[in-house]
This record gives sequence, C-alpha cells and structure tokens, in this order.
Amino acid sequence: MRATLSLIRREFAAYFTGPAGYATMFGFLILTGLLFNLNLNLLTHEGPVGVEYPMQVMFGGADSPVIALVAGVLFWGLFPAITGMLTMRLLAEERGTGSIELLMTAPIRDWQVVAAKFVACFWFYLVLWLPTLVYLPVLADLHAEWKAAFTVWSVLMLVGLPLIVVSKIAFLRDGPGWLIYGVGLLGFVATGVGGYFHYTTDAEHILKLTAGIDLAPIWTSYLGIVLAGGMFLSLGLFVSSLVKSQLEAWMMSLLLGLIFVLPGLLRWVLEPGSVGYELMYFISVPEHFRRTFTRGQLDTRPLVLYVTVTLFCLFLTVRSLEARRMR
Amino acid sequence: MIVVKDLTKYYGEYPAVRAVSFQVDKGQVVGFLGPNGAGKSTTMRMLAGFLTATSGSAKIDGKDVFWDPIEARRRIGYMPENCPIYSDMRIDEYLWFRGGLKGLSRSERKTRIGYVLERCWLTDVKRQIVGTLSKGYRQRVGLADALLADPPVLILDEPTAGLDPTQIRETRKLMRELGQHHTMLLSTHILSEVEATCDSVIVIYQGQVVEDGSLAAVRQRNKNNSLEEIFVKLTGQEGI
Repeated sequence: MRATLSLIRREFAAYFTGPAGYATMFGFLILTGLLFNLNLNLLTHEGPVGVEYPMQVMFGGADSPVIALVAGVLFWGLFPAITGMLTMRLLAEERGTGSIELLMTAPIRDWQVVAAKFVACFWFYLVLWLPTLVYLPVLADLHAEWKAAFTVWSVLMLVGLPLIVVSKIAFLRDGPGWLIYGVGLLGFVATGVGGYFHYTTDAEHILKLTAGIDLAPIWTSYLGIVLAGGMFLSLGLFVSSLVKSQLEAWMMSLLLGLIFVLPGLLRWVLEPGSVGYELMYFISVPEHFRRTFTRGQLDTRPLVLYVTVTLFCLFLTVRSLEARRMR
Repeated sequence: MIVVKDLTKYYGEYPAVRAVSFQVDKGQVVGFLGPNGAGKSTTMRMLAGFLTATSGSAKIDGKDVFWDPIEARRRIGYMPENCPIYSDMRIDEYLWFRGGLKGLSRSERKTRIGYVLERCWLTDVKRQIVGTLSKGYRQRVGLADALLADPPVLILDEPTAGLDPTQIRETRKLMRELGQHHTMLLSTHILSEVEATCDSVIVIYQGQVVEDGSLAAVRQRNKNNSLEEIFVKLTGQEGI
C-alpha cells in the first residue's frame, strides 16, 4: 500500500514539474470558458434562438443554433486529445528513458503500478474539471440568502469551522501531533453535530440556497463526464504501455478515443429507431451526453460501458507490462 | 545468497543466456565478466526481476525470483546500466519516493536517506534536480537508491562505466567498503577493478559460464597468467 501511495504521489506531482500539465490545464480552461461564454449568451438571448438545457452547451450536446453544434463537435473532438495529453507520458516516457527498469525491479506488483498511474492521471483529470465548478452558481441560477439565525446549533457549527482550519494550518506547519489532531477532531465533531441539528431542528437557517433550475442535469452531467473521462484515460494508459514515444502514444490514444466519439456523427444519416442507430448509441459518448446526462437522466447503459471499458483497458495494461518481462 | 540454476533466456530465436548456473555465498563480492553481448546484463536483469527467464531458476536468499518476486526484490539493491532516473525530480525527493516504493516507513526513510547521501557523497547536492547532474553524480544517485532499503544483496551493472579516473577510484573504494556488509555481484569491463575489489569472478561468454571461482583459483587454473590474458583466452579473441 505504501509503495502504491508513493507512486501515486510521484506521478501526480510529475504533472506539475513540467509544462505539459499546465499547458493542458490552460487549453482546457480556454475550451470550457468559451463554452460557458457561449452558453451564457444563448441562455440570456431573447426570442426562439436560445437553448433549452444549460448543461447541454457545456458538454457539447446542443443541436441548435449552429454555433452550439459547432462548439459541441469541437469539444468532443478535443476531449480525447486532452485525456491523451494526460496519459501519453505515463508509461511511454518510462519506456523511452529506460526508467521502467528501476520501477519494475522495485518490490511492487505490476497491477499496483498500473493502478497507481491510473489513479494519478484520474486525479489530475478531476483537477482539470475543478475550476469549472465556478460556472455552476450561474448555470443553476443559484441564490444565497443570509439570515442572523443564531441558535445553539448554528453557533456550534460556526465555532467548529475555524477549529478545522486552524488544525489544518498547524498540521501543514508543524506536522502531526496530538494537540493538532485533537483540535481537528473537536472541530469536525462540532461542525458535524451543529450543522446536522441546525438543519433538522431549527426553523430558520443561517444560509439559504435556492436554485432557479432543476439541479439534476448538473450532477448527472458531472457523473457522466467523470466516468467517461476514466474510460478515455484508461485507453490512453494502455496505448502508452505499448509504445516508446510520447507523441505516438498521444496520436494513438486520440485515434482510439475517436472510436467512441465519431459514431455520433452518424445520427444524421441513420434512421432513428433502426438497429444501426441503436448500435451507434451504444458506443457514442457525445450521444450519451446529448440524450441523457445533460438532460438530468441517468442511463445505466453508458455508465456500464464506461466502467467496463476502463477495467478492461487497465487489465490489458497489466498484461502488456507482464508481456514486457517475457519478451 | 544467490543461487542460479540452468538459467536460460531466448530473445525470439536467439539464446542470449544458455543454461547458466552459479552460486554466490553470503558476504562474497563477485565480478561478473564477459565481452559485450555475452549475456551479463540479461542475467542480471533476470536476477533483479525485470525479465523472466525462459527456463531455469534463480533464488535470492532462498526466495525464487519468479515464484516469490516481491520478497526476492526486497532483498536486492539493483543498479541498471546507464542509471535511468526520473530527470524531473530533486535527489532527495527521488530517494524519498524510492524509499516509499520499497516500503520504508517515514522515519526509516529519513534515517536511511541521510545515511546513503553521506555514503555516496551526495549531501551537498541533495537539492539538485537529477536532470542537471553529470554522469558521475547520476551513477551515485543510482547507487544510493540501490543501498536505500539496506538489502543483503547488491547487483550492480557496470557501476564505473563512463566515469572519470577520480570517480572510478572513489567508486571502487566505495565498492570495497560495501563488500564488507553486502553480498555483491558486479559486472564490469575494467579488469584491474575486479582485481582490486572482488573475491571471485564469473566469466560468461556467448551466454555460457566459462570460468567460475575465486581469483586465486582462476589464476592457478590458467597458469598464473594476468586476468587480462585469461579473459582474452577464455572469450576466444586471442588472434585479435
């Protein structure tokens, strides 16, 4: 376990030691920022040119107007390229420089190596999406209302919060210690108990959040994109285990990723309801987002696809590492 | 400590190592000799667990490298040829990471890293980024990494390749000191180095062991010639 954690930490930190991680983040923020801007324009537009679902434009699922359609194609075309940027380095670089020899002779199992690399790039992928959370209050039309509803419970909660912060800062400054753990624990208990009873028993609440629209599309979209991202990342990790050059790994993972994107373009050709259309729907990630996730529905079929492809690719990666020893 | 039995490795059709058997006892320092392409690195890689043998077996301290790979690898400090190290990390960061990979606790890592930095003359440069180091320093980092978990067995693949004379002398001194606490198998092309540091030698040629024994015994068997002459005779390159 310690070995795996060590490797996860090193792989995650490696994204921040070179320019590649920052470049990916920059590109991704520009892309989502443009989509958000477009989305906002369309949502506030007067007349029959707006969009119905706010999350549809963000996740490239809107059909009209044309500008949203183009943005959607751009988003899904770049998505496998971005996940490829995260995974191309993982094993291809190790093979290229030969450092894989030191990794594979350390007392760590092959599946632990693969799991650690996958977890590290998955974390970085989540970090990529983290800044997009600031768009959500606007998209969800969120209103916050403050009230001076000081009761025993709300005060207990408010006292607990700074205690957590203080213990966290102290931990970062001085490292582990009994006093620090004690203060942190006290803070957690006070906040938890205070918050729970404040929410359940008190009539008035300090902070009242109301969303102008249904929240389901937001969390279903994010759940979908997190799992779909896992699928693309595992594909990229597998490809990265096969080649020695990062560029090759990136191009191949982009090509393989497009297998799950391009069939979506067939929907203009295929008859809705036909067998071909149903087959196309199974593997077309943009279609999953257009038809279900961004509308607040959870279709389990794509979710099962994402998770099984992820696990299968990780399995193949472990096998590919093992095969390297047998060569 | 190291028991190798009929170890064979085929790369496709080509037999790189053919039925190699030898034994290294506890506390011995063994020089692993042979011309380029004789199968030294392949044998060492199989011992370290990077490659799997086509047939045969190898045991490190009683642990089979194929059936019990994790336990076997815990007992080995391995330094590959050319020392491929992550070039984006600082030396102490790198050693901290490697210590975790080898399963050392935080406090163990702290004391061991301090020790190996001292041992390999790296204390002054420990905050340097590995990518900016010269070949000699990289080699030392590789050696520090091999020593990190205090393994009973050290397997070093050409530890002095590409070093300048001063560095070779330093490294050789270090090898001699390490030989007192560890069982060591080291490959090299520098024969004077073998004479200076090793108790015994194994000569391998075209994937097969052609000579194995203590330095004195090998000399005696070969009419008290110099090691260089013995080497040239055994590896069949006399006419050159």
